[in-house]
Amino acid sequence: MDAAIVTKDLTKIYAEGRIEVKAVSSVTLQLNEGEVVGLLGPSGSGKTTLLSMIGCILRPTDGSIKIYGNEITGMDETTLPNIRKKYISFIFQGFNLFPALTAIENVLLILKLKGINKNVSNQRAKDLLTVVGLSERMHFLPRDLSGGQKQRVAVARALAANSPIILADEPTGNLDYTNGRKVMEILRNLAVEQKRCVVVSTHDNRIEDIFDRILLMEDGQIINEKRRLS
Amino acid sequence: MFYVALKIISYDKVRSFITLLGVVFAVSLIFAQMGIYLGLMETSSIIIDHTPGDIWITSKNCKNFDFSQPLPEYLYYHVLSTEGVQWAEKLIVTWGIIKQKEGGTEQVEVVGYNPDTGIGGPWKMKIGDSRAVKNGNFTIVDDSAKRRLGDVKVGEYREVLWKRLEIVGISQDVKSFTTAPIIFTSYRLAQKLDPNWIGPDKTVFVIAKVSPKYSVEQVIKNLKKRLKGVDVYSKESFSMKTRLYWTIETGVGFSFLLTISISFLIGMLIVGQTIYNSTVEHIKEFGTLKAMGASNFDIYKLIFSQALINALLGYFMSLIITLLSVKIYEATEMVMVVNMWVNVLILGLTMLMCLSSALVSIRKIKKIDPAILFRG
Repeated sequence: MDAAIVTKDLTKIYAEGRIEVKAVSSVTLQLNEGEVVGLLGPSGSGKTTLLSMIGCILRPTDGSIKIYGNEITGMDETTLPNIRKKYISFIFQGFNLFPALTAIENVLLILKLKGINKNVSNQRAKDLLTVVGLSERMHFLPRDLSGGQKQRVAVARALAANSPIILADEPTGNLDYTNGRKVMEILRNLAVEQKRCVVVSTHDNRIEDIFDRILLMEDGQIINEKRRLS
Repeated sequence: MFYVALKIISYDKVRSFITLLGVVFAVSLIFAQMGIYLGLMETSSIIIDHTPGDIWITSKNCKNFDFSQPLPEYLYYHVLSTEGVQWAEKLIVTWGIIKQKEGGTEQVEVVGYNPDTGIGGPWKMKIGDSRAVKNGNFTIVDDSAKRRLGDVKVGEYREVLWKRLEIVGISQDVKSFTTAPIIFTSYRLAQKLDPNWIGPDKTVFVIAKVSPKYSVEQVIKNLKKRLKGVDVYSKESFSMKTRLYWTIETGVGFSFLLTISISFLIGMLIVGQTIYNSTVEHIKEFGTLKAMGASNFDIYKLIFSQALINALLGYFMSLIITLLSVKIYEATEMVMVVNMWVNVLILGLTMLMCLSSALVSIRKIKKIDPAILFRG
């Protein structure tokens, strides 16, 4: 398997006045294509900070991050969007869908930003919304969708971009167990099928079995790693 | 992005309606203020602009059309005999008192012109002929004077500067900037009406027409060399001088500029606040786009598109309101100028108003804290 993300001694320190808080401390890891990795740990353990750094939206204090071989820690603000555009998609706990746009328009917006041809975009958005089970509701506004359906739109949006890396922050946080599991299963199946590298930050232990690998975090460090028995 | 912006605007109907109302209010006010200002300026130089001839000779340091000093009449002959002058004409502009039919008096601006040539006289007659003021105590009153002078009729007599004048015609479109109605008499009668100020050997302006083979600048140079103690202007520069006098010296321009600026500012605040609120409400969505590789510029396009839609909708609604209200202004004897030039200028101002109001939102986007994306 090819390495999608490689970090070495990745550290993030937040300074609050004179007090320094080490949110992530010397994390070294390799995340590969085609694997679904769970980042588990209690609140404040550094999961989200780590996810933000490997998602190129938060700069580390120390250490290095390579995305498909590109060292991104020294890159300036004008280059980083291109890296994100090419390699990374996100799924958030709060869905972050434009309320004024229908499900399909939310997916199409990302495709438009990626510069994908209109006809190709339309077909891809329709296909993905069908795959996530929303073929009947693709012209609904987010307000007319349930939480689970909204998250499935977010999954379709993340997959539509064709980014090899998908980072999901507490994707089941606003969903009940059944809906959360359904969303995660869809995400896993599509990711494995399309050889994406999926990193999910969660504190929901009930979905542990979805992951190929679980990285357990505490106090900014990875304290344990579990692999799925195939 | 324009489509997405349109969807965002149409989604929140109440907010969009309030924004649109704000833009329409501000832009309509700008239209009205600018239109009235230009109307006033047009009125202030209306006789200069409608008088044939290329050059105006005035008293030294003359500030405008309405308050010029008398000149010796012989200068007319000097002008006429200057190289490059095709023809010349004299014109008197002075002030007088007119007695009202039912008692009381009003101030009037008296324009004395040569009825044989009609130069400087009324250019549009509602009743009568502009040559009718010749050889007698006759006057032509403009239709717009009715508000101040009452219902003036041809054949009636009015006392102007203690002389009984017969009204022989009603002119049209000679609105007065100073609010004192304009009346026309023959040149010779105007000299007699105010013998102490003008008298038989004085005029107020000499107007000259340049021969086809000469340029206006060249003839102005010749006249300046020949005539001492007077000012020589091209028609356009005298018209502009008059307009600038009223704009700058009286504070009229400043007052209009102030109102236009305040309207601009109000519009900017309303649009700015709504777009900013909308941006703050959608900050996570914008952040998500940014996280997925959209550049700041991509998101700026979305925000500027919202501002542009507000600007265009607001502008066209204001234009319709303004065009409908022109008739109302006309009914109150006010001149309101709405022409292509004004329309384009105000469209530019409206776009500037709305787009600059989006800058605060742009700043917000630029500073999106990625951490917000990771809060449920």
